[in-house]
Amino acid sequence: MSVRVELKDIVQEYPSADGEGIVRVVDGVNLVYDKPGIHMLLGPSGCGKSTVLKLMGGVRPDGVVSPSSGEVLIDGKPCDGPHDDAVMVFQQYANFPHLSAYDNVAFPFKLKLWKNRVPAGERDARIKEVLTAVGLGDKLHHRPSQLSGGQNQRLALAQALVLRPRILLMDEPFGALDAQTRAEMQDLLVDLWREQQCLIVFVTHDITEALLLGDRVTILSTKPARVAREFDITEPRPRSDLWLRSTEANRLESEILDLLKEGNVRGGGQVRVTI
Amino acid sequence: MFNPHEVISTRTRQALGAVAILGVLAVWSALAGLDIVSQAKLPAPWEVASALGNLAMPNDKGESLLFAATWASLQRVVLAGVLVVVTGVPLGVLMGASPRINALLSPLVDPFRSAPIVAVLPILVMWLGIGELMKTTFLWAGAVVFLVPMVRDAIQAVPRTYYVKAKDLGASDFEAIWHSVFPMAKPRIADAMITAVSVEWTYITVAEYVNAKVGLGQLIQNARRFSAMDQVFAGIFVIIVLALITYQSMVAIKRWRYPWETE
Repeated sequence: MSVRVELKDIVQEYPSADGEGIVRVVDGVNLVYDKPGIHMLLGPSGCGKSTVLKLMGGVRPDGVVSPSSGEVLIDGKPCDGPHDDAVMVFQQYANFPHLSAYDNVAFPFKLKLWKNRVPAGERDARIKEVLTAVGLGDKLHHRPSQLSGGQNQRLALAQALVLRPRILLMDEPFGALDAQTRAEMQDLLVDLWREQQCLIVFVTHDITEALLLGDRVTILSTKPARVAREFDITEPRPRSDLWLRSTEANRLESEILDLLKEGNVRGGGQVRVTI
Repeated sequence: MFNPHEVISTRTRQALGAVAILGVLAVWSALAGLDIVSQAKLPAPWEVASALGNLAMPNDKGESLLFAATWASLQRVVLAGVLVVVTGVPLGVLMGASPRINALLSPLVDPFRSAPIVAVLPILVMWLGIGELMKTTFLWAGAVVFLVPMVRDAIQAVPRTYYVKAKDLGASDFEAIWHSVFPMAKPRIADAMITAVSVEWTYITVAEYVNAKVGLGQLIQNARRFSAMDQVFAGIFVIIVLALITYQSMVAIKRWRYPWETE
């Protein structure tokens, strides 16, 4: 499967809170993703990594020009709004409270775009398949309020995967989950990716998560966001705790920490290490 | 005693409610029964009850005055209620969904929430005459000014994420509102409808003051003219009971339709 996401000299500015002047959140980010894999965008909280991710999905903030300058190219074509190749998974998973798990996953098929693309006869099987894959096969008729936080995040993931996207954009999807549930979700994501290989761009501020999941880890410095460095990790997934304690992983981790510290001199933000 | 989150049993709640009602009835009975307040001003509860019975009984023409009045008022409230919902909900949804439409129309709607709608009645009489058209229009106008802003607020209260999510999944603007935002706003829209109908019950007597041949407002007005205070009280009592039944059934329907709201 061929897929290519390219960010060229992306700059994003917002009016500052006091209304005078502007704040530059993203400052000349260049990124190229040209093959399926899990790509981590790592940076301190509030560094603008979410903004970068949303630009890839074509989700624009209201009331400002976005991006302020630069270009987002999907398969070489400029992207200026939500597009069908990329689906986003949000941290506040935003499942519909009035719909069952099944109907939540079926939601995209209410839209003309997916109605035309996926024949009616195929939908039911797809929905059940993907809900089973995320471990909710026995919860088809539960509403989100009857599911735990982790199950809700599984549901949000299922809703994205049912569309079989070529690009999956995940915005700190496991950030609100407790440690154990987060570990389960990370394992699930690794499994799912093996089944359905797409290009995942995964935003996190958790170094351990980046090391566990990423084929590539891109470090963003903070305020404004710039690409500080990119690391490729060749260790096959799933990666064990043993590997996390290996010399290689430790070396990567301390390099990343050093980079983030450098970046942090310019302003606040926090990273999490859970090794 | 003062803990807003204290859980009290249904029994305690009902008992406390009964205490209040019985207390009022006792004071009322004492004031009227012992002639502390003259009968002409305050009929005793049992006199109101007997007036209620007399009004409900068929008269010499074989008609029950109370029944006919209630039926007429109920029809007016239901007709106006349907009109309010049919016009007000779409308008409120449009205003909530588009800040542009809201900016255009809110100066026409919002000020009327606090306008003396009762004072508008003479104008409506001049424009529309004294028939049913005027009454229905008055009830509609009185309630729709509450409904529209509430529906708009209900739409705007839906978290932005749901709109963004639908758009990201490829929804058109219309689809994002219709499939994502509107369904999420339905319980609060139902609240707005309940308020609107409650408002209509409070305005029904005013609507029926002018030239109603039949109706609860007309019944009260007529009784007052003949200083039959027991009948005035009976009429008010019936309206309160009807409004309460409407309110409770609408709330029950809402809970049944949208069980997820409180989960």
